[in-house]
Amino acid sequence: MKLSEMKAGTTAMVKSLGADRHFVSRITAIGMSEGASFEVVKNDRKMPVLIYVRETLLALNREDCSRIEAEVQA
Amino acid sequence: MNRIALLGQPNSGKSTVFNALIGSRQHVGNWPGKTVEKKDGTYSWKGNTYTVTDLPGSYSLSGNSDEEIITEEFIRSGKADLVCVLVDASQLERSMYMLADFAALDFPAVLLLNMMDVAEAQGKTINAELLSRHLGIPVLPFTAADSKGYTELKDLFAAEVSHPHKLGSVPGVSAAGDSAEDIKHEGNAKYIWIREMLEGVSSSRAEHYTLTKADRALLSPVKGKFICIGVVLVAFLAAMIICIPFMSVGSMLPGIMSGPIAGFLNGLHVHPWLVSIFSMILPNTLYFAISMAAFVFGVNTVFGYLEEIGFLARAAYQFDGVLSRLGLQGKAVAPILMGFGCTIGGTSGTRVMDNWGQKMLAMAVVWAVPCGSIWAVMPVISGMFFPVWGTLLVCVGILVYVIILMTIVSKVFGNALAPKDSRSGMIMELPPYHKAHWGHIIKEALYKTWDIFKRALRTVTLISLLFWAFSYSSSGSIESSLLYRIGTAIEPVTRFFGMGWRTFAAFLSSAFAKEAVLGVLNAIFVGQSTLLEATFGAKTTALDASALASVMSSTISQAEALAFIFACTFNIPCVMALSTTYRESHSFKWTARVALFYIGSALILSCIVYHIAVLFLH
Repeated sequence: MKLSEMKAGTTAMVKSLGADRHFVSRITAIGMSEGASFEVVKNDRKMPVLIYVRETLLALNREDCSRIEAEVQA
Repeated sequence: MNRIALLGQPNSGKSTVFNALIGSRQHVGNWPGKTVEKKDGTYSWKGNTYTVTDLPGSYSLSGNSDEEIITEEFIRSGKADLVCVLVDASQLERSMYMLADFAALDFPAVLLLNMMDVAEAQGKTINAELLSRHLGIPVLPFTAADSKGYTELKDLFAAEVSHPHKLGSVPGVSAAGDSAEDIKHEGNAKYIWIREMLEGVSSSRAEHYTLTKADRALLSPVKGKFICIGVVLVAFLAAMIICIPFMSVGSMLPGIMSGPIAGFLNGLHVHPWLVSIFSMILPNTLYFAISMAAFVFGVNTVFGYLEEIGFLARAAYQFDGVLSRLGLQGKAVAPILMGFGCTIGGTSGTRVMDNWGQKMLAMAVVWAVPCGSIWAVMPVISGMFFPVWGTLLVCVGILVYVIILMTIVSKVFGNALAPKDSRSGMIMELPPYHKAHWGHIIKEALYKTWDIFKRALRTVTLISLLFWAFSYSSSGSIESSLLYRIGTAIEPVTRFFGMGWRTFAAFLSSAFAKEAVLGVLNAIFVGQSTLLEATFGAKTTALDASALASVMSSTISQAEALAFIFACTFNIPCVMALSTTYRESHSFKWTARVALFYIGSALILSCIVYHIAVLFLH
């Protein structure tokens, strides 16, 4: 499931960050890596998605979030 | 010589530590051949001298940008004896990524756990001693904004420079591959290493994040934007309250100083020219520099506070969508909002941007924002020609054109400064709300203020001399000045752009300082004071607005007035904004390009406004 489609409150694990080298490098350095679990804190239409990962509240551009595949965890 | 380098991610508090160690004796320049800012300086401690270099902030050392390449080369070249790595103690796992990257360089280091106060406020405990044993380097819990910890820090540097420690290597990380897959593997290896290092070090992590009540309001799509705008309006009010006392003291200077200086020089029997230069330029320049510095101090104090408590990050989240259409990131919202108060403040506020291209583009966009002085002056001029509703329309027109001009600027410069394929969407951390450290905020604001004050004195003195030469008149009337002769000679050309020689001269002076425009108009149209006094002593010159209004409205047409208002508003903001842009961008070429663009576009705008307005107005 795409990160951009996940509802607030969902706990999930990153499956794939896509294949864009620059993007992967940037997003990994700020805390998102494949296998990392995170929580979707807020996901409003037309706004960046807020997620909580590695003790950090991150705001991620919507378009970028549609490149991130994640798996919902119970 | 003992050489220390500071390394850390943005928001790690690196520049706070640097400023606290070095104070105002810092040397700011460029990394050779690059537009990346280099800051270094020295301090003495217990009889030894230490050089500190502030390495460019970046999230990793993967060679993605000039900043990262410079940092890596600097450390590899051995130009430092010790690297001080800063991490955010409240987000330890994430911010240690930089340390894991750094480990591959195999270099002596100490680790600074900054923002311990925030971590403690969140109920986190960190066993620094255990972390130090895991890492093999000293670890110091720290709060950079608090002056108390620096004795211990300097002692630590002194000890480590003579007996350095190195990190162990991170398993699974090699500099071999560079594909997306390689980065993913190495990234995972780094985070596994970080987990191992943090084993038993920090108290358990919270699994769920609950937005605070303030965040629920501030981050909501519609209400949040209104709150942001409201907070910024209050912030400007606060900035004005801070700077008014300084300004009013400064405004007394010309009155106090002019007489005695003139008297003293007359007593020495120097040439009257020199008397007029010194008795007029000196006090007015001083006054002008003080009011500018006071403005910068007010805006920086207030916005420094908003940044420190975490508000500006929320505003960036709110306006990321709008700004990405201009090729900018949400972070540019702070400098743009600051620009409504003072372009100088806004320009230096672009420091928060991720890379040079974004920073330069943000500065070019900030120039389009009419500053506080424009909002004070232009409605007055408009009121001389138009009824109240007309003036309101002019203000609305200005606001609409701000958006148009920003779009044009981003189209003209966007592709070169932020190429489409390098544009990246917002990836930003929203820091937890901090308690503000006022001492630190004021100190940082004072650094900037002092810097502006020094440069304003230099620049304004130079410009004043130029003005004095152009407006000097042996008979006392403006008709015998150089300005009049040149102005009337080129009037056929300036007429095409909608301005006669008088308004054109005022337009040119608006590039020096917007608050002076009224005074300049007064000098040119009414001719009671000299142009020089008018330009640099705007508020000291007694101004009879109604007299000016009646002379102006009988001399120039409504269409010309309208063209003039738009041309002035969207001209170069002021010489100090120009000088600050050069200082921040370290690029003469780009500063000149943007300046020429603004002069040109203001003239074209004036031309269009005039030729349309003559069809409707008289």
